[in-house]
Amino acid sequence: MSWIKTKWTAEEAEQWTKEDYIIFIISPLVYILLAVGLALSLLLLWYGFVILCVGMVLLVIMLKIIDPKLKAVSEDYEVKQREYLEDLEKIARWEE
Amino acid sequence: MVVFGFLDWFWLFLFIVLMIICGVLFYRLGKRSMSDFFLAGRGLPWWLPAASVYATHSATDTPIWISGVIYQHGLRGIWYTFFSAWCAISAFASTRIFRRSLAYTQAEWQTIRFSGLGAELLRGWIAGWQVFMNMFVLGWVGIAMGKVCHYLFNWPEWLGLILFSSLCAVYVLAAGYWGVVMADFQQGVIAFAVIIIVSIWGIATAGGPHTIIAKINSLGQSWRLNPFAFTGVASGDFPLVWFLTMLVIAVIGGFGMGTSIDWYPEAQRIQSAKTIRDASYSIWAGSALIVIRNSLWAVAILAFFTIYPHISSTAEYEMAWYRLGFEFLPVGLVGFFFAAIVAIHLSTVSTHLNLGASYATRDLYNHYFRPEAGEKELVWVGRISTLIILLGSFIYGMMMQEITQWLIFALWIMAAGIWLPSILQVVWWRFNSWGYLSSWIANLGLSWLVVWVLPEFHVIPVLPDYLQFWTMMVLGALIYIPLTFLTPPEDMNRLVKYYVMSRPLGWWKPVREEAIRKGLEGFSVVQSKGGI
Repeated sequence: MSWIKTKWTAEEAEQWTKEDYIIFIISPLVYILLAVGLALSLLLLWYGFVILCVGMVLLVIMLKIIDPKLKAVSEDYEVKQREYLEDLEKIARWEE
Repeated sequence: MVVFGFLDWFWLFLFIVLMIICGVLFYRLGKRSMSDFFLAGRGLPWWLPAASVYATHSATDTPIWISGVIYQHGLRGIWYTFFSAWCAISAFASTRIFRRSLAYTQAEWQTIRFSGLGAELLRGWIAGWQVFMNMFVLGWVGIAMGKVCHYLFNWPEWLGLILFSSLCAVYVLAAGYWGVVMADFQQGVIAFAVIIIVSIWGIATAGGPHTIIAKINSLGQSWRLNPFAFTGVASGDFPLVWFLTMLVIAVIGGFGMGTSIDWYPEAQRIQSAKTIRDASYSIWAGSALIVIRNSLWAVAILAFFTIYPHISSTAEYEMAWYRLGFEFLPVGLVGFFFAAIVAIHLSTVSTHLNLGASYATRDLYNHYFRPEAGEKELVWVGRISTLIILLGSFIYGMMMQEITQWLIFALWIMAAGIWLPSILQVVWWRFNSWGYLSSWIANLGLSWLVVWVLPEFHVIPVLPDYLQFWTMMVLGALIYIPLTFLTPPEDMNRLVKYYVMSRPLGWWKPVREEAIRKGLEGFSVVQSKGGI
């Protein structure tokens, strides 16, 4: 998956990129496949197991795509969080 | 009536004591500050809020409702429960944006995203509405517990309502959200284990998967085994257009904030996660557990259908999952089953007690009455608010028989007409507070017109629910979109600040350009690539 970016700088990770848009498609698909696949698997129907396996494979792919980006976003943001919390209190207390 | 043996009572008392002690143990952490009392200090790893998402949305009335749709519709009924799939996109879109805003509540977020009088009106409205809604939900699930206890022990309904909600209030009052989330984890594990045990037991009691399939086929109802058994494109009781509308509402709704009534408790869980990554995974995983749980329930209800295939009374077949547990589990495990029902109940009650109190404390008391209040005072106000919401829920619970239909209607209209505006406020910079506020007001009037008044006077026919949704969406847009353009955009300084902090997706170009013009950090990449 060389066209999928796995190393992010903080600045790059803050943008909405193709990796996010791919996740917006894969993630609901995983929910649908898990829901249908599990129900049919419990009835021991072979295609239920196939659907469930496809759902789990997509889940792994989803995590491989999005996790590096989420890590980068989180690490960068936590540094700024204290300052933002102070601003939040100012709004709550009508100081801004 | 069910008769408990010694082992049944043992399980029940053991679990109740454990649940309450588990919550109360965190008393010292909960009282440190308002952030601790309502957000556990914003420091939780993803699996704790995930368990809380799952536990909160497994209430005593949930198996009743799911039993009803599966018994009636077969496996395609799982799509009626699929609205929780809004988290599939939200986890990686609106969750990320909301976590960055650091708002305690969705009401507070309105004053970060918008500015001026419109923002304050929105904050006050959403806070007041959420205090009411949490009381209402507590009354609703409380009286459902009262009915279960009446069915099991022949107690008067008020006793089950007051007893278990009060037990739960012990640890919510003591430890706030710390108590809620820690007890939720324990309750979520117990509830999930019991859902697996009872469902598998039910399937085995019906003779196993092959027997279930054979019986359903022999009844000439093989469509019950097909999750995609549509009755036509727009005809019958499960048309394709209903399914597509549901998918759009659930999945696209994940780009917005407040597109689902469940957003409000989830917002609290998002802010309690220690990082953006933890927030995303907590929402995704919690909802994935809900999706999995629904499939387990669905197959168990199919098993019940093969045992009792000719029940026509809705009230009777809605108890299908409870009946599987109470009629077929051996003595000793019945108490374990009831303890899990108590766990399911307490996890929902605790969340709504603390959530309602957070709006009352942070948005109403702290913001409008005592902006200078200290942390100790705010924690105490949080406790008093919790108590008031608990007492209010008892009154709602006792009134529920008369008002349920009206309030379910109120829930529906709150969700339908503000679906698109709740997305626009996140993805479109020009959408302002007056546009959002007007969408709430317009929705109140339009829903009465479209659902009741116009069909009653034969101006329009009675529309199926999916057409009501699209009609209200279009009519509402005809009001709030012009109003948005007739009123000025939000203050640019506020928008820039919000943009830099939250990095929303969608149409934010003028705000982004202003941020670059002001030389704010982190925009070199944006500038060079020319996109968001």
